Amino acid sequence: ACGNDNNGNDGENLDADDVSGDDVDAVEWRMVTEETEGQVQMVYAEEFADTLYDLSDGQIELDVYGFGELGSEVDQVEQLSTNIIEFAVISPGFTGTLVPEGNLFALQFLFPDDLRQAQDILNESEAINTTLREKYEEHSITPLAFWTEGAMQWTGSSPLQTPEDFDGFQMRTQESPLILRSYEAYDANPTAMSWGELYTGLQQGQVEGQENPLFFIEDANFNEVQDYLTISNHNMYVTMTTVNTEFYNGLDDATRAIVDEAVEQMRDRAFEIQEEQNEGALERIEEATDTPTEVYELTEEEREMFRELAAPVRDFYRENEGDDAAEILDTLMEEMDEMME
Amino acid sequence: MDDSQNKFIRLIKALDAGLHTLEKIILSWSILVITAMTAGNVVYRTITGQSWHFAAEISRLAIIVATFMGISYAARKGRHISMSAFFDLSPKRLKKVLAIVNPLITASILFIMSYYALLYTHSVFVSGRTTAALEFPFWVMVVALPVGMFLGGLQFIRNSWVNIKYDEVYLAQEKKDYDEQ
Amino acid sequence: MAWTMLAIMVFLLILGLPMMIPLIVGPLVILVFFMEGLDPTIMVQQMVEGISSYVLLAVPLFIFAADIMTTGRTSKRLLDFVGAFVGHMRGGYAITTAAACTLFGSISGSTQATVVAIGKPMRERLLKAGYKDSSAIALIINSSDVALLIPPSIGMIIYALVTGTSVGDLFIAGIGPGVLIFLFFAVYSWFYAKIHNIPLADRMPWKERGRVTLGALLPLGFPVIIIYGIYGGIFTPTEAAGVSVLYALLLEVFIWKTIRMPDLPKVALSSGIVTSAVFVLVAAGQAFSWVISFARIPRQMTDAVLGTDPTALYILFIVALFFFIGCMFVDPIVVILILTPIFYPIAFEAGIDPVHLGVVITFQAALGSATPPFGVDIFTASAVFNKSYLDVIRGTPPFIVMLLIVGLLVILFEEISLFLLWIF
Ligand code: NA
Ligand code: NA
Repeated sequence: ACGNDNNGNDGENLDADDVSGDDVDAVEWRMVTEETEGQVQMVYAEEFADTLYDLSDGQIELDVYGFGELGSEVDQVEQLSTNIIEFAVISPGFTGTLVPEGNLFALQFLFPDDLRQAQDILNESEAINTTLREKYEEHSITPLAFWTEGAMQWTGSSPLQTPEDFDGFQMRTQESPLILRSYEAYDANPTAMSWGELYTGLQQGQVEGQENPLFFIEDANFNEVQDYLTISNHNMYVTMTTVNTEFYNGLDDATRAIVDEAVEQMRDRAFEIQEEQNEGALERIEEATDTPTEVYELTEEEREMFRELAAPVRDFYRENEGDDAAEILDTLMEEMDEMME
Repeated sequence: MDDSQNKFIRLIKALDAGLHTLEKIILSWSILVITAMTAGNVVYRTITGQSWHFAAEISRLAIIVATFMGISYAARKGRHISMSAFFDLSPKRLKKVLAIVNPLITASILFIMSYYALLYTHSVFVSGRTTAALEFPFWVMVVALPVGMFLGGLQFIRNSWVNIKYDEVYLAQEKKDYDEQ
Repeated sequence: MAWTMLAIMVFLLILGLPMMIPLIVGPLVILVFFMEGLDPTIMVQQMVEGISSYVLLAVPLFIFAADIMTTGRTSKRLLDFVGAFVGHMRGGYAITTAAACTLFGSISGSTQATVVAIGKPMRERLLKAGYKDSSAIALIINSSDVALLIPPSIGMIIYALVTGTSVGDLFIAGIGPGVLIFLFFAVYSWFYAKIHNIPLADRMPWKERGRVTLGALLPLGFPVIIIYGIYGGIFTPTEAAGVSVLYALLLEVFIWKTIRMPDLPKVALSSGIVTSAVFVLVAAGQAFSWVISFARIPRQMTDAVLGTDPTALYILFIVALFFFIGCMFVDPIVVILILTPIFYPIAFEAGIDPVHLGVVITFQAALGSATPPFGVDIFTASAVFNKSYLDVIRGTPPFIVMLLIVGLLVILFEEISLFLLWIF
């Protein structure tokens, strides 16, 4: 989207908003992501910065920080909400202690199997873009877009194809009670392990498997120490383009219009970035013959078995993940039914 | 010395003794708790196959408490690490000056930081943030910072005071300079 | 801005203030005077972050285990065992110390934990054998560094994530330089013993050796449990530290009854004070690193130094310099996260092998944490041995010279790190 507007504001990719840098003061803002150079969030953030720069005729400069520069993911959330940084890519998985409703996206086999369809729901759902967004705004975090970094997949030291394969399986997860619950539903033994220990943990067998999008699995080299990869698509990794609420509301109309337009232009790009990266990662995992990994894709029947076991976890979400959890989930499910028709 | 002043000093001394005991209890039990959590989790997992999901979080609380509540205790015992090359090689007069001034600088920095830490703890309190596994209020995790740094500051003032009061050079309330041992 | 900060830090450092003060004041000055409007409470958040790593928990646990073992009989029996086999050899104790640190470091993955767990008992024995304290401590600190180079190494795992390099390749490539350092230290120890005329014990008869070995059977369970536990997939390195404490308690409290249960908090107190003194610095170091990366100081400095179109060799030297300095102040993992993305693309462009770059970076990170004026391993040694800073660093120059030579060799000859990869 940002590639073809070098010649100013008359590019045809600008819609009716007709944003322009004429009325915008020169500013320098900061954005932080949860990933390192070259990974999905960083590519997104850098292109987002370019888009802002172009749309504002060079008035808006966005400086992008990668993971590790400003502390942990949870620290970054706090820094955004206190306006130490203006923008951030934040995943709901790291805000569960602040907005438990955001754990919605950890529910397995909830969204449609087709990732494009799932992304459309993220774009259009009222439950997500209004109700959930307001929950974040209570903490001065305004999610401007919810987008996926790809489907989550399982890797294991043994094949993971049916719920029985999870029986007593040592699965590394994040510390969230809901995720623990999800794997307990398959009779696995979920184990929390810091990811600094995860590579060696998998290598030496303290844990037997983990879940992540493909690009991350390949970047972190987990395929070197895992024999099996299951294309499980058991949920999608969702992240958010966020801005500090007070900062955003304080922007003048012209500037805010540019920010909104940049977010819109990045929606399709975000999907493309993750698609490219995840496809490339799968190829490289399959080609790495000195550390072979057997790739298996779940069949429809197998998915159905998992889906059935995962469904009761939704009640755990309704009851334990904040005041508005039930409302958000129920509205979302209605919306999905409508959209899927 | 009149009676009320005497009482005041006795009160301070009693408070200090109480604090000293408290610091010792906190420091030693933090280490014991970390041990119990880490080793306990291994034993439990080996037997049942399940993990204690609270183990890491409790350990984290214990290490934060030990680190910051330990500032004051380490100050008493002169166990804070410093680059003492210049100090060690100084003549006694200069040493004496440094032994009075350094703890005062240290104390003021600790007071400033304990003020910021208080602000931070308050903001965490207001945000309502909880911990990930046990979901207890996160301010409990950080309240040791303002308290620990404040008590540490007080202790450094005392380290300065002993150097004003006595002729010898004290590295800390309970530790004379190596030359004087 | 950067220079003002550094000048203030160095001044406070020289005055002899507790090390945490320059580490706090430096970034505080930047926040208050150069970045007005930025809330200084961010430093508090980062101080908490700095000591929140689960991996770091191994440090207090190994400190505690070592305190229990040295209070009781375990460490004496272990050292008698070592002495029975190497006491008659020239430099035997020193070489054993270097080897034990290297091995333990490779298992625990933590240089600080190694200083404590191996250093504490071995130092006493080195002193008894006639080594100078300063040399003993220097040997311990510097041998412990090798932990970062021999697999499994957390530093390398993080580097691999940032750059997309294979962890397996890095692990193999770290072995060559790690062994090289050990060899240097071993040869040095031999000459040191010869020059200083360290008395040799008589070769112990086999009967006597058998007796000592028998006495050390239970203590020898330590390395067995740790190695088997970690490589057998039963527990993580951090958990191994916890299990070490359990095992030490089993031996000292329940079997030999050298420590009574009610005395345990007293032993824990001494571990606690060491932990606090070291972790305060880890906490302050994290706040320091946040502020300088937020202010983009590393990027400005590297840009200024690298110029346009630098040669591969020049890049490697600059990399070495920056990681070496960075790791004096801050945890190696944080430094790798911050600096690697700056250097990697430039190095890649110049044709430097990513695995080789990873080894150079890890090597410098290890070196930085053991060399004055700052360095977490120095802090740890000062706290654990209760020695003044000057006493801790007094003996380090020969080791630093050796490490610099090895570092130079590793930079100049990528074969040292890569040859094992070519073989396999
Ligand atoms: Na594999
Ligand atoms: Na290691």
